[in-house]
Parts: sequence; structure tokens; C-alpha cells
Amino acid sequence: MKGLGVAAVAAICAALTACTNNPYPDADETEKVRYRALPAPLKTLDPAVSYTSLEHKITANVYETLLEYHYLKRPYTLMPALAEAVPEPRTLSDGRVAYTFRLRPGMRFQDDPAFALGEAGRTTREILASDIAFELSRIADPDVASPVFATFAKIDGFRAFSEQLKQRRESDPDFAAQRIDRQYAAIGGISGVRTPSAHELEIILSERYPQILYWFAMPFTTPVPWEAIAYYDGQEGRDFFKDHPISVGPFQIAEYRRRSLIVLTRNPNWYGALHPQWRAPGTVYPSEGEAEDVERGRLDADLVGKPLPFLDRIEFRLEKETIPAFNKFIQGYYDASGIIQESFDKVVLEGGLSPDMAKRGMLLEKSVDPTISYIGFNMRDPVVGAVAGERGRKLRQAMSSVIDVEEYTRIFNNGRGVAAQSPLPPGIYGYDPEYRNPFRVTDVERAKSLLAEAGYPGGVDPATGKPLHLSFDLGDTSARGRVRYLYFVNAWNQLGIDVEIVATNYNKFREKMREGAYQVFMWGWIADYPDPENFLFLLWGPMAREGGGVNSANFDDPRYNALFLEMKDMPNGPARAERIRAMRSILERERPWIELTHSENFALYHGWMKNVKPAGLSLPAAKYEDIDQVLRAELRSEWNRPVVWPAYALAAIALAIAVPGVVTFFRERQ
Amino acid sequence: MEGYIFSNLVALALVVSAGFALATARRSDLWREAGRTIARRRPIALGVVLLFIAIGLLDSVAWVDGAKDGASGGTLSETQPRTVVDRFFPADFKERSYSAPLADAEFYGGASLRYPGSHLLGTDILGRDVLHLTLKGVRIALLIGGLTSLIVIPLALVFGISAGYFGGRSDDVIFFIMSTLNSIPSLLLLIALVMVLGRGPVQVCFAMGVTSWVGFCRVVRGETLKLRELDYVQAARALGVSNARILVRHILPNVTHLVVITFVLLFSGLVLSEAILSYLGIGIDGSWGQMIDQARDELSRDPIVWWNLLAASGALFCLILAVNFVGDAVRDVLDPRTVREDV
Repeated sequence: MKGLGVAAVAAICAALTACTNNPYPDADETEKVRYRALPAPLKTLDPAVSYTSLEHKITANVYETLLEYHYLKRPYTLMPALAEAVPEPRTLSDGRVAYTFRLRPGMRFQDDPAFALGEAGRTTREILASDIAFELSRIADPDVASPVFATFAKIDGFRAFSEQLKQRRESDPDFAAQRIDRQYAAIGGISGVRTPSAHELEIILSERYPQILYWFAMPFTTPVPWEAIAYYDGQEGRDFFKDHPISVGPFQIAEYRRRSLIVLTRNPNWYGALHPQWRAPGTVYPSEGEAEDVERGRLDADLVGKPLPFLDRIEFRLEKETIPAFNKFIQGYYDASGIIQESFDKVVLEGGLSPDMAKRGMLLEKSVDPTISYIGFNMRDPVVGAVAGERGRKLRQAMSSVIDVEEYTRIFNNGRGVAAQSPLPPGIYGYDPEYRNPFRVTDVERAKSLLAEAGYPGGVDPATGKPLHLSFDLGDTSARGRVRYLYFVNAWNQLGIDVEIVATNYNKFREKMREGAYQVFMWGWIADYPDPENFLFLLWGPMAREGGGVNSANFDDPRYNALFLEMKDMPNGPARAERIRAMRSILERERPWIELTHSENFALYHGWMKNVKPAGLSLPAAKYEDIDQVLRAELRSEWNRPVVWPAYALAAIALAIAVPGVVTFFRERQ
Repeated sequence: MEGYIFSNLVALALVVSAGFALATARRSDLWREAGRTIARRRPIALGVVLLFIAIGLLDSVAWVDGAKDGASGGTLSETQPRTVVDRFFPADFKERSYSAPLADAEFYGGASLRYPGSHLLGTDILGRDVLHLTLKGVRIALLIGGLTSLIVIPLALVFGISAGYFGGRSDDVIFFIMSTLNSIPSLLLLIALVMVLGRGPVQVCFAMGVTSWVGFCRVVRGETLKLRELDYVQAARALGVSNARILVRHILPNVTHLVVITFVLLFSGLVLSEAILSYLGIGIDGSWGQMIDQARDELSRDPIVWWNLLAASGALFCLILAVNFVGDAVRDVLDPRTVREDV
């Protein structure tokens, strides 16, 4: 009896000392495993549909593309990936423009049972130009509902293909029941997408659109085998294709539990792994970058030219709540993290890492995202718009001159964000760090005199004898959002203008925007690709919101429109820069927007993470990243030593209570 | 008519009505005695409720006096009406952002304040005085409780008395409506109504009224079923008194105590419901619920910003606790089933 008690106590003590808070049951000291947190389950991994930055964390690393962005160079630069070279445009005799991509021969898809559809027993096959043509056909397919249809509609015959496919499916049920690749073939494919040979893809655009190349560096245009679509149809226990990507990239999906875990492992069929002797640009660590990369050790001699990827495995774990995810990062169980607003002051001090975090060997990487947030004026409104002529212009200039965006970012974003002077953010061609917009300098007195010149002295509308009343339309009804918007309203109140916040849900807000029933609004834009055209088109007349475009301000300035048409197809150079400057000065004067901020990303990395460089665009970054898993294991164990004395104390108290009872029980039995 | 003039008139009408009701009650032994008993039993709670009512009324009386907002150098404040409550605070009683109660410097960054040591409950993210915001929330809380009760009580009385007194087909129809409304989750119905009607104090009160009358209606129906069988009602019928006269002379006065009890008990529930709506993003601007919602993130800040939440939830707690105490006392006094020996 006595021996049993001692054994029980010893077992409890042993269990307590073996306690660990390590959430990963598998050993990760021998493999290079990178742990990442996902804040929400992914909706789709179908490359034709997936369009969120969250999904691109997976798709960018699984789906290799014809081109890709250089990992280190800024401004962003395209380089060949699956293609042998970045193609040059060819103008055809009828004015159309053609691009010819040459695929590297001998590249293969990841192993997958779907390939048995094409040939019994086959588990993979070569990546062909027709696989990219097939994916472009999927983007055009109305049943796929790709969000980038409009962009690719610049390809010759793209819309016609889509319409024919729709009509044929509606009129002919037998056709609609055919295998998907046969349907596309029966229509004759997209006339502007040709495959002269197995490894050549020709794209013919009906108009000049040099930015099309950026889209070939995004997962939308990855090669997709027809077998994958035909096989992964959700029937007979098979997955849907949206949950079962077939990789052509450096990593493949080894495990996909949508609501908890996604595991990527190395793809042995990736062209970098199959053909290391090619030393293709996207398969070895780059040798060029920026001065900052040298300082940060991203161009160290032991890295340059090394074959990629460095990591063996990447685990994405669902962490819906930000605070537990951040705490796990602090404990060393995630390798990187953003900085949650609530802990910002604990982590960042005067723009750098706080001493506590620096002591842990962390790295703070800041990057400005290619985004813009702005307050816009409806230029078709009779009070604030172009219709009001000089009066409206001065009013917009005055309203622009009282918004202190630096104070705004300090109060609401912990100072994260670059005050925008024009629509173009840093890193985009045409951005001028020296440029200061005179109407984005906070000057209340000047604003008041501008308002008086506009015919509203002291903010009073002479027509009513009362303060000028404007509505500020927003698609956010939350109390927290309202406080942010009140910041702007308070600023305008300084001028005597009475601005009313009209907050509705986002759908209703969009409806109002479509109908043009608004005066002042707030919105933002995230670039698809790093070209000034992708920002300046937001104010191009034909893109007006009332016509279904993205120009929410309905700005329509003939000179700006003409300059935009000249600028959009130009190569980067002095002529393009000159036009961008001219457009900028029009915007400066006309003030269809009050430019607010370009969002700034603060990312934290543990000291064992190597070669990390944050990017605002969708880049296949994981293949460049490396970790020191031995250092990680040491630091984790140091940071997570179990504090066991409370457990011992509790056990002692429990024993002190239980033992007399047990002793009494046995004594009475005897 | 300007909004503030309408508000002034409503406040005046309320004061006059309250005076008239008090004068009438003083003439009735029952009500006079009931009032005395409540005042004797719950003096502090009654005092708190009266204080809140006084603040709400004072915040409803406004006029334009051209006061300048020195902080912004703004001119809008010159043309804006300011209430009596606003006038307890300087026109430009603002800071740049958070400051702790009675602090001399900003909470984050440590910059000097314009009014060091003067913000009793600190300032919020926009630098607004939290005590001022809390006092402004009183009027909204009373408006939510009062206006919604004004919607709920007539609805419940009309339907409950009609169903109970007339019975038959009208009872079936009204009971069907009540059962149908009861079978819909009230919060979902409330959200749907606010989405349809739009946000605003009147719309929110209407939506809350529509979703809150069923319970009281059942009580009134039951009471009327009992009353219509009593001898004096049967006698009136036998004497050929019209239904309308019976309802007004015999039924309605005998359910009045239920109205008073229900009003008091409903009130606190409605104020809390608005806090939940604010949490869901569809509450009323400037309410305590909205202050609590805004404070959600502040609780997880490091260091923590606690004063915004404390002020709003403290005021909400005081009002609801006081109203509940008064409500219990009212029920004890007026409900014959709970009358105590000492009454």
C-alpha cells in the first residue's frame, strides 16, 4: 500500500516535470519547418478564382507562373520563371499586340492520381503551353466566375469565347455534359491565345496593354492540367479542385484541413528540383538587391546562388484570434507575426524594437504596401463636384487642407502609414519622395481663406444662412469605425462646415456609390501590380463609377484623360515620368481625392528566420526564406520553461487533504 | 422647425405633464400613499433615478449663443445649439487623444494636455471628455427606455384588452400574431427591422417596441379575462352599458397598476438591449452601448485604457440598478398580490 502511494506521487511528479506548452507534437529540430498562422479558413485555392492576399499565401507558393517578381529588387522587377524569358511586345500589322512565351521543356506537375485520366497508370506529365491556354479559358468560362475576367478581356476573342461557351451550354445539354477541355476545344478556344508548339504560348491583345505581363506573374495564369478539373469534381469521395491544387511550384500541399491545418512540403517535381543544372533565376537565391539587403545580410556570400527552396515544410495553422496567435509567436511557436494594435507599444518603441523584444533577438521589418486610402468627392455633385466650378474646387482644396493625416495615423494606426501626397505609393514608378502636395499640408487659416473664396465664409452657406451641410458616406457602421470618421468630421468642423456621417452596411454603401447618391466618401485601393497605371486609372474619366468602373469620384478631366492614355502604355522613362507629373499637378489642383495614407506593414520575425523581405505584392517568398531550427529549439525551450511549483504546491495540498481521509478509512475498515 | 427647438418643446411638455400627473396623483389617496411608501423604502434609488431624469431633461434644453470652440478655432460651434449639460464644460474642452482621469499628460506619448488635471474621467481616443460623453448618454438612455415604452404600452394595452375582453375571433387573431412574433428570435427580428428602417433613435426605439410588446400583452390579456368575469363588469353589461364605456371605466383603470409596473421593469431591459445593439453595430450614436463597444479594443491595449468602459458601464449599472429597485418598490406597492403588511 505504502509502495503504491509513493509510485503514484512519483508518477505525478514525473508527469508535471514533463509538461510542455509545445503545440507541435512532431519533432521539428531535424527538419526546416516554418510555422505560420492563418486568421481565417481559405475559401478557395482555385487559381482562376482566388483573389485574396490570404489565399495567395498558399497559392503563390504552390502555383509557379510564367514570370515572377525579383525577390529583392525594388521597384518590383519581372524575371522569367516557367518561361525562358520575359517576352517583348510585337505589334501586328492590324495594330494588335502579341506576346510569345517560351516554356522551359521538361518541367512536370506534381504527382497526382488525376493524371491517370489521360493515360492509365500515369502519375504526372510535362507542363505544356496548352495548360496555360486551358487556364486562360477557365478565366473566360462564365461558370468559373473569375474575378479577373475584365482584365483578361483585352485578349483577342476572350469575350466572344465566353459568350459562345455560355450560349452553347444553354442550348445544348449534351455539350454541357462533355469533359471541360472538350467543351473549350469544341468552341475553338480563345482566338487570341495560341500554342504554335507544345512549349510556345502566344497571347494576342486587341489593344496595347503592357501591364498584361504582371498578370503572368500572378497565380491566375499558372498552368492547370485539364485532368485536375475533370478528376476533382467532388464526386465519389473526390475533392473539389478548389481544395486540391496540383502544384507546379516549389511546394505542394501535403495536408489540407480547411478549418485547422494546411501543410506544404517540397515538390520533388518542381523544375528547380528536377533541373538544378539550369540555374533558372527563380530556382537559385538572387545575387542582386538593394543596399538595405546587403546591410540586412540578405546578400551574404553563403546565400547567393544557392538552390531553392531552403525550407522542407510549411505549416499554416488556423488562429482566428489575434491575441493568442501573437502570444504563441512571443513563445516561439510561430516564426513571424504582424504587430497587433493592442501590443504595439509593448513591441515598438520610437519606430524600432522595444528593448524587451530586441533582447529576444527579434527582427522588425517595415514595408510600405502598394495601397492608397483616400477621401473622395463625388465630382458630379452640385456642391462639392466639378459642376460647382471654381466654388467647388476651392471647397475641396479647403477641406483637403485641414486633414492632418499624420495625427490620424498616430492616433488610430500607431503611426503606421505613410502620409500620401498623390495616388502613387513608394515602390511604384512615378513616386517622388520629395514631392509635397500643397493641399496636404495642414493649414487651417489657409483653408478658411480658401473657403471664403469659395463663397462659404466661416463655413456658412449664403443660400441658407446656415453652416454648409455635407454628407460623408461610409460603408462601416461599427462604433470603432465611427470614431475614426469623426476625426475627419471634427477637422472639417474647424472650418464651420457641418458634415454628417451617413454610415450604412457595405452592400448598401456600394449600391449608393453605383447610383451616384453621395457627396463625400472614403475608400481605398490595393494594387494588383506595381505600375502607376494601376493607381492613376482610378481617376480616369471612362472608369467613372456611374458607368460601372472604379473611378468612384467620377472625376472626368479631359486633359487628365488624354495624359492617362498616353502614359499607360509607355515604358518607364523620362517621357512617362513627365506625364505622371502633369497628371499629379491636375489632381493637386482639382482635388477629387484627399489622399490619406499608404499602409505600412510592420512585421516581426524571430532571430532564427533568415532572408525575409516583406512584400506588399503576391510573391512566392517562401522558397527564399530559411530558418535555423536548432537555434529555434534552444530559444523555445529557454522561453517556455514550465513553472511547476504551483502544481507541486497544489498536489501537496491535495495530498494533505486526501491522505488523512484515506488513512482514517482504512483504519476504520480494520 | 430646428431640431433643438423641438427638443426644448418636448422637454417642456414632459415637465408640464409630469407636474400635472403629480398634482393628479396627490389628489388620490392610493397614489399619494404609494408615492410616500416608495420614497420611504428606496430613497437613494429614487434619488438616483430623479437625478438621471434631471440630467436628461437638462440635456434636452438647448440654445445657440455663439460660443467659440477655442481648441479648433472653429466657427461651427457658434451656430450650433448647446444644451445645459454642454454648458457645464468649456466649449473647447478637448485634448488630442487619450488621457487618464485627472492626468497632466497624454496617455500615449506623454505630451502636455490643454486642460491638465481637469478631465475627471479622462478623455477618449479623440480627446473628448469622458464625463461629458457619459452625461450625454443619459438622455439617450432615457429616450430609449421612455420612447420605446410609449410604443410598447399602447400596443400591448389595445391588443391585450381587446383579446381578453372580446375573446372569440379577435382573441384568436391577436394570439396568433403574438405567437408568431414570439416564435421569431427577437434579436434577429430587431436587427432586421433596424436594417430596414435605418439607424436613428426613433427607428431603433420603434424596432425595439415592435419586438417587446408581446410579453406585456399576454399579462394584460390574462388580467382582462379575469376582470371581465367580475360582478361589477357583469352588472354594467346587464345594465346595457356599452363595451367602450366598460373598457374605459372598468377595465382600463384596473390594469393601470400593471402599466406602471411594466413601464419601470421594461425600462431597464430596453436600455440594456440598446447596449447589445450597439455591440452589434446598429445602436444609437452617442449611447453608452456605443461607448462600451468602442472600449472593446481599449481593454486589450497595453497599457490598458479602462476609464471609457468604466464610465459608460458604471452609468448604465447605476441607472438600471436604481430603476430596478424603484420598479420592485412600485410592484410591491401597487400589485395587490405582493402588497406587504407595512404598506
